[in-house]
Amino acid sequence: MAIRTKHDPQSYTFAGFGSEKYPNLMLRGAGDLNNWTLDVYEQKHEGYVAMKQALKMEPVAVTEEVKTSGIRGRGGAGFPAGLKWSFMPKDTPERKITRYLVINGDEGEPGTFKDRAILEYNPHQLIEGCIIASYAMQANTCYVYIRGEFLWLIEKLELAIEQARAKGYLGKNILGSGFDLDIIVHRGAGAYICGEETALLNSLEGRRGEPRVKPPFPAAKGAFGQPTTINNVETIAAVPPIIRMGGAEYAKLGTTKNSGTRIFCISGHVKRPGLYELPLGLPLDFILNELAGGSSTGKKIKAVIPGGASAPVFSEAEFSTPMDFDSVRNAGSMAGSGGVIVLDEDTCMVQACLRLIRFYAHESCGQCTPCREGCNWMEMILHRIEHGEGTLEDLDVLASLTPRIAGRTLCALGDAACGPMESMLKKFRHEFEHHVTHKTCYVKGHELLAKVGAH
Amino acid sequence: MVRLLLNGTPVDAPEGATLLQALRAHGLNVPTLCHDARMQPASACRLCEVEVDGQERPLCACATPVAEGMSVHTHGEALEGYRKGLIEMLARRYPGEIPALDPDHPFHRLLLHYQVPATGPWVPSKLDESHPYLRLDMNRCVDCYRCVHICEEVQGHSIWKVVGRGAEAHVEPGDAGRLLDSPCVSCGACADTCPTGAIQDWARYRHGTPITWTRSVCSYCGTGCELEIGSTSDRLVDIRPAQDAPVNRGHLCVKGRFGLGFNDAEDRVTSPMVRRGGEWEAVTWDEALDEAAALLLRVKEAHGPTAIGVLGSSRGTNEEAFLTQKLARVGLGTGNVDCCARVCHAPSAAGLGLALGTGAATNSFADIDLAALVMVVGANPTENHPIVGLRIKHRALKGMPLIVIDPRRTELAELATVHLRPRPGTNIPLFQALAHVIVNEGLYDHPFVAARTEGFEAYLASLQEWAPERAAATCGVDADDIRKAARLYATTGPAYMCNGLGVTEQVQGSDGILALVHLALLTGNLGKPGSGVNPLRGQNNVQGCAQMGCEPKRLTGYQPYDQVIAKHEALWGPLPPPGLDLLEMLDAAGEGRLRAMLVFGYDLYLTTANAHRTAAALAQLEGMVVVDLFMTETAKAFGTVFLPAASTFEKEGTFMNGERRVQRVRAAIAPRGQSRSDLDILLELAKRLGVGDQFQYHSPEDVWNEVRKLWTAVAGVAYHRLEHPGGLQWPCPDELHPGTSILHAKTFPVGDRAQFRPIAFHPSAEVVDEAFPFLLNTGRSLQHFNAGTMTVRTENTKLTRDDVLELNPADAAALGVLDDEEVTVESHHGAFQAHAHLTDRVRPGEPFGIFHSAKAFVNRAMGPGRDPKTHTPEFKRTAVRIRKMVQA
Ligand SMILES: Cc1cc2nc3c(=O)[nH]c(=O)nc-3n(C[C@H](O)[C@H](O)[C@H](O)COP(=O)(O)O)c2cc1C
Ligand code: SF4
Ligand code: SF4
Ligand code: SF4
Ligand code: FES
Repeated sequence: MAIRTKHDPQSYTFAGFGSEKYPNLMLRGAGDLNNWTLDVYEQKHEGYVAMKQALKMEPVAVTEEVKTSGIRGRGGAGFPAGLKWSFMPKDTPERKITRYLVINGDEGEPGTFKDRAILEYNPHQLIEGCIIASYAMQANTCYVYIRGEFLWLIEKLELAIEQARAKGYLGKNILGSGFDLDIIVHRGAGAYICGEETALLNSLEGRRGEPRVKPPFPAAKGAFGQPTTINNVETIAAVPPIIRMGGAEYAKLGTTKNSGTRIFCISGHVKRPGLYELPLGLPLDFILNELAGGSSTGKKIKAVIPGGASAPVFSEAEFSTPMDFDSVRNAGSMAGSGGVIVLDEDTCMVQACLRLIRFYAHESCGQCTPCREGCNWMEMILHRIEHGEGTLEDLDVLASLTPRIAGRTLCALGDAACGPMESMLKKFRHEFEHHVTHKTCYVKGHELLAKVGAH
Repeated sequence: MVRLLLNGTPVDAPEGATLLQALRAHGLNVPTLCHDARMQPASACRLCEVEVDGQERPLCACATPVAEGMSVHTHGEALEGYRKGLIEMLARRYPGEIPALDPDHPFHRLLLHYQVPATGPWVPSKLDESHPYLRLDMNRCVDCYRCVHICEEVQGHSIWKVVGRGAEAHVEPGDAGRLLDSPCVSCGACADTCPTGAIQDWARYRHGTPITWTRSVCSYCGTGCELEIGSTSDRLVDIRPAQDAPVNRGHLCVKGRFGLGFNDAEDRVTSPMVRRGGEWEAVTWDEALDEAAALLLRVKEAHGPTAIGVLGSSRGTNEEAFLTQKLARVGLGTGNVDCCARVCHAPSAAGLGLALGTGAATNSFADIDLAALVMVVGANPTENHPIVGLRIKHRALKGMPLIVIDPRRTELAELATVHLRPRPGTNIPLFQALAHVIVNEGLYDHPFVAARTEGFEAYLASLQEWAPERAAATCGVDADDIRKAARLYATTGPAYMCNGLGVTEQVQGSDGILALVHLALLTGNLGKPGSGVNPLRGQNNVQGCAQMGCEPKRLTGYQPYDQVIAKHEALWGPLPPPGLDLLEMLDAAGEGRLRAMLVFGYDLYLTTANAHRTAAALAQLEGMVVVDLFMTETAKAFGTVFLPAASTFEKEGTFMNGERRVQRVRAAIAPRGQSRSDLDILLELAKRLGVGDQFQYHSPEDVWNEVRKLWTAVAGVAYHRLEHPGGLQWPCPDELHPGTSILHAKTFPVGDRAQFRPIAFHPSAEVVDEAFPFLLNTGRSLQHFNAGTMTVRTENTKLTRDDVLELNPADAAALGVLDDEEVTVESHHGAFQAHAHLTDRVRPGEPFGIFHSAKAFVNRAMGPGRDPKTHTPEFKRTAVRIRKMVQA
């Protein structure tokens, strides 16, 4: 197995982490490469206690507990997990239904690297979550779809699954409960769009990874045409602590309607980039300055992308926003996947924007006209501007393109591309204009020449 | 019904409809690019977005279901501006010069409507001109992916694939590079749906948009697909599927869609001819008709009316077939009248007629969608009845259990839950063993058997000799598979059964059908939706031709003499007694008792088994009048008068498909050269035979109205009622009757109870030995049709060869034969040559000869075996040996 032996340098902790104020529910033992085994999980981290508890409950009661916890999906959309589970159709006397749970471990959102840590250090917490969630929904097969580049983590998860099976936690009649479950790990093939839940299902079925028309929603017709729930790795890994401490107790963490802890992935121009598990609702500037150590370059922080690359960018005015789903939304962005990308004053927003749009234009599945053509068009214009060949009209076309794309595509990738585009152009328009009119970079002052290749 | 507001106007729409359907039903034209009613909505081009009150974002009309109280706005300024914006996005990369060249394509009309110029480049590397029917210019592709979806959802193939992502995403025909090299079956659906002409018919590219579209019925197989025939003033351009046809639902196969080239083939004969001094000579119509009448009258005079034989054409209309038998019986006084049903489904008609009372399919193709299981027996519908085959395939792909009984591993066999592969000629033991299991395991439908059948006890006793183990040994099938299939068929109801020539073209053909009917009776699979016994009829109008009375032992409506002779004689005067069928005619010709023949559109020499005997018999005739489009093998060798006939594209009338559906055939163009319709020719001959007063018809409708008088089952099928899609299915006894899609719901025409009959197995005389070690089976391929008369005159020849012998690679290795090498196949009766195609679709020792080619002439090797009841020849089992051709 290709288990990594080298410690990765990033931070998983900070002063006070693990205290009552900053409970450590998701990153126990993170950083220690020997932490992943079943023995460690059971001996040190209350492993499989919640599962044993849950298997004695009625399945609906488990779902109720998760509803009470108030946990919202950590994959991007922030949809309440308990509510999602309750959409799964139940068996009737006439019809027994095959249901699936699918775990989204594609983790493709730029600036997001939390699921990877869970898989690296606490795979059993995910497995335990899968068992509890599957039991609650009475699914007998659970697929875990993992980003293809995480090859070593796939192997690790498969070993962990073997350990759990050997202990009777997976397979037929788990611990005499009468409940059967198998977990099947599926490796992705390197497309961002396969993180979108219905594209993921297509990919899982062996089809081209492109999003499906909704409705029908996965709860009605998902994997292989059967009712399916799709949850993010972090969402499911939070289930064992929820069951252990009780939904009501979990709900006390964070703020109302934004309960619990989540793992923030902080990257960019801060002194201590890394993963920070925090209760929801702490102000962004507090997190950046008090926990992540503030700017790493000595320059002022100019902009922050608060929820993965798809989230509209914050400028200084929004830095005090509490980091929970609703507050970030009210401030004009989204909490998304928890990826916080910090950009200092010396960052050229035109360049940053081009980088992001190039990503979306490349990752568009190509199905919808607005996304396929629009992202490509934006990229071409930004490329021109970045190379000193843009015009002021180009800025108008850029501004006219986002309303033609956002909200008008089959899946949310179109919106995702427009998030950074629209906000950067609006909040940092002077930088774009400067590129066009002066043919120099506003931030760095150098000349923009196609033949020099700029930046 | 739900009520909604469309631009402020209240309208009703059916529940479950999409907004787009509702908009279109009320004349509101919202532009679409990725939508096609034949497919699931893709919701991808976003042109159809409309505003719905209370919704934050616009919704795609194509994918949004209607809901009570919805208020929809379709053409506001913002929406129209948005649509224009989308067209602009596409126009950036669209080649500038194309729209003006070809303004009719939907996307080009949109560019014009929104006044958006296309500004992209055109590069030659995106052109693929290799396919004979489809021209690909991918410069024009706007990535709507309709081709991808229609190929998968409608045709059940997945030829087109999306490759790449983002702006680089584009479609490609699989991994093949060129469409011609892909497994594409050339159904043309992708070209049909493509909104830009990126994929388009060559015909349309070369000849432009047709001016007139004429709705008619396909002239190939008995499925009866409805077509739109596109023509300019005097040229057939293109054929498209009729979108609202209940049979084919907007789809066609390669033959119906593209097989029109024969109509203008160079060797089509368009002037009357007479053979003088051994050579054909063009003459006037009067001369030719006089000569034909003189021959028939002379023979009648000298040898009596029974010395004349008449063959009707299964390619002609019902009206023509009806007049053919009337001319034989009334004009010539002979009962010797038959048609090509003799060599295909005569046993189906006979078996079904005997057991149930109606010699036609009990159910309809629509029942395939209602069935819980389908059983395909001796048929290869994905090739020979592709539209029916597709319906079965789609169901099987969605998980419906499927049983296939066929020696070959056909496309459906690959999808089958159970595939039974009997040795050719061993159907009876296999069918009886299936019944044996059903009865002995008590799986039969007790109430049905008790209420609606008789003769069960004797039948039961006759089954006992065929325990699965014994049948397994005879048939070369696993006994457990027999049990599995029997249990599945008996317990998964309703079960739809269809059969092909693998059952009928055997020396036990009629008994085979009886045995199948028994299985349906045992399991109660008759008279209800999704069930039945359904022969898949071969030619477009073979059902009609026999049904119209081109049948020596039956009169109009396939009705027995004793039941309807009085009715006929009241109208027509005294009739001759029942006469000889085709095979008996050939016997009589060989013995000098039959001296002249009148043959409509039927290459009997090429298509009858045991060609050497056929030739010896026909050579003795004094003369033969051939009515056809082409100098067929029969005409070449034996014709003395040739009358050039109009094709189905050139005449009016009706066809009857394999599910008893009568549909209108309409002329799209005038007959070529001097050709005339069979109907005209029949009227002219009648005059010259002195019975002109009995043949006073002014139109095909007149003729049909006489049929309605003689056969009550179609009394309600008036021409004016055939104007709507799908025509009418008989029985339809009066003009208010809606037609019948399922027969035998409560009783059978034979009475309240259908009879079980004991069946004995009489094995074939064709047995393998050291000298003739292979059992040859024969049949058809997708791209070609029957005698090949039509398809070998089309570009279908560029798609596949027509003279093929499928051979198992193990056999080929033993013989030292390579793929595509020519071999000689020899039986006790004769030999033919064909190109070997190595495939494990056939088992070792059981090669399969494709019979479309006159060059190969497979029937030279077929023997004299016949079904004793119907005389249908044994095409499906001949002992042969195979030799490499000597290398030149
Ligand atoms: C373009 C796109 C990419 C996405 N990528 C991911 C991803 O990598 N991982 C993830 O968990 N969710 C991703 N999502 C969100 C999923 O569609 C889905 O909402 C999520 O997996 C649901 O899990 P949750 O309810 O637990 O958050 C993506 C969505 C879009 C539109
Ligand atoms: S929005 Fe983009 S990624 Fe999503 S379905 Fe449409 S083309 Fe594909
Ligand atoms: S080839 Fe035609 S149908 Fe296929 S994607 Fe392109 S434009 Fe659409
Ligand atoms: S012609 Fe038919 S089979 Fe061939 S690619 Fe087009 S849709 Fe598919
Ligand atoms: S027609 Fe509705 S999205 Fe294309």
